[in-house]
Amino acid sequence: MIGDRRFAADADAHRRDQPRYCPACATALDLASEFWEGDERRFYCWCASCEWTGEVTTTGATALGHEPEH
Amino acid sequence: MLTAEQNDELTAVEAGTRMGEVLRRYWYPVAFARELAEFPVKRVELLGEFFALWRSPSGRYGIIPEPCPHRKASMAYGVVEEDGLRCPYHGWRFDTDGVCTDQPAEKDNTNFQNRVRATAGKVEELGGLVWAYVGPDPAPLLPRFDVYVMDGFRDIGWADLPCNYVQIMENAVDPHHVEYLHGRYFEFIGAHEGFTAPASFGKQHQRIGFDAFEYGIIKRRILAGASEENDDWKVGHPLVFPYNMRVGGGGIHQMQIRVPINRTTTRFMLYTVHAPEGYEPLEQPAVPDYEIPVFDERGRHVVNYVEGQDIMAWCTQGPITDRTTEHLGRSDIGVAMLRKMFKQQMAAVENGEDPLGTVREPHERIDLPCEKDKFHAGGAQFALDFCDMGSTRFSPMLDTIRKVHLSAADRVVKDKAAGRPSFTPEGGIGTATLTPGTSAQVDSE
Repeated sequence: MIGDRRFAADADAHRRDQPRYCPACATALDLASEFWEGDERRFYCWCASCEWTGEVTTTGATALGHEPEH
Repeated sequence: MLTAEQNDELTAVEAGTRMGEVLRRYWYPVAFARELAEFPVKRVELLGEFFALWRSPSGRYGIIPEPCPHRKASMAYGVVEEDGLRCPYHGWRFDTDGVCTDQPAEKDNTNFQNRVRATAGKVEELGGLVWAYVGPDPAPLLPRFDVYVMDGFRDIGWADLPCNYVQIMENAVDPHHVEYLHGRYFEFIGAHEGFTAPASFGKQHQRIGFDAFEYGIIKRRILAGASEENDDWKVGHPLVFPYNMRVGGGGIHQMQIRVPINRTTTRFMLYTVHAPEGYEPLEQPAVPDYEIPVFDERGRHVVNYVEGQDIMAWCTQGPITDRTTEHLGRSDIGVAMLRKMFKQQMAAVENGEDPLGTVREPHERIDLPCEKDKFHAGGAQFALDFCDMGSTRFSPMLDTIRKVHLSAADRVVKDKAAGRPSFTPEGGIGTATLTPGTSAQVDSE
């Protein structure tokens, strides 16, 4: 149930995109707490099985590089 | 942002839930010692359950679930006797171990008494508070954190708040809120009400960092004009898992206690010890307590003092804040770290381990790291701001507390002139705990 309808799409996206398995041991993740950094969505994750902690960032289909100043 | 299921799990306090089982591994303050001196039995709600707490004439404490095992009448209306608590309805008596020691209308020498044992918790008195443990055996020791045993002048402010304790704990790992809630917002309210908010609370954060340690999470900050050498970074102050935060500065030592009464009610307590350098001990036969204001006569939050601002923020997030539609930023990384810690302890308890901060070694005092020069405001200035702008201004002891700080400052000057050391209270002395080379998790420059 979503309490604040203004952000129902974000809640749906969270449920859809949250990492489900540990990148280190492939066990189901215990925590994937989402936060934003600029336009990037990040998930602060923790695996109870192997104690892995890390951030997972969604990128979409486009790969972006950067151009050094010149 | 979490799923609804994760939010539900995180905020639960009831027996049989993952988090409720973690919470039942800790001791909680459930009464002021003076309450049971005034009347020896009290109804207590803790972690969503009701209990009867009592103190025998010889000073022995007991706690059992509120319903009598006989026909469920409230033991909180019981008769306190030297050997236990007697039900007011039919006189069944239970001792501090929960053993039924008398069933007046039943035959003697039957096993009936053994069938109706009450599940007794453990109770101890420390620092003017009565503490209870209602979890499984073997009970851990009651931690003798510095503020409860150190020298100093004490008082306790409190309020019952209509919100879940986790959102209050998340505030304890949210350094940035100080700059706005107690800085910019305080200024705004002051401008309308005709007072000047303390400048030190509005200093801009340059950097924040968090370290897990044996009792919780140490929170660090570098404010504008300061460096890694200042106490706010080098020492910081801790969230004491799972329901406390140790704060202080300027000779003031405080434990902010957030007892989960039930899922949507939290007993907020400010256990404060005034112990500046030069403190001259005062007799305190009992620790005074006082209720701090939450709402005004119009039902609006009282926001012209520091803790009132915090309370406003915690309560207006809702009884259980909806984490499915929140939007955390990078500056909220401490909140994510705390959620991980809660999850870690759920797993630990399920694995049969003690959760974080469980104390089983006998000890005299546990000193927690806590900055002395808070917000690099200068100790005396911080103490004055604390008295004028915080909950202490509602304390019946306010005048005495002011005198404690002023006379201590005078004493230090005199001692310095005379070339003798000033009295420094024992305990509550923050130490630098940041490991050399440790990098902050967040750099918000």
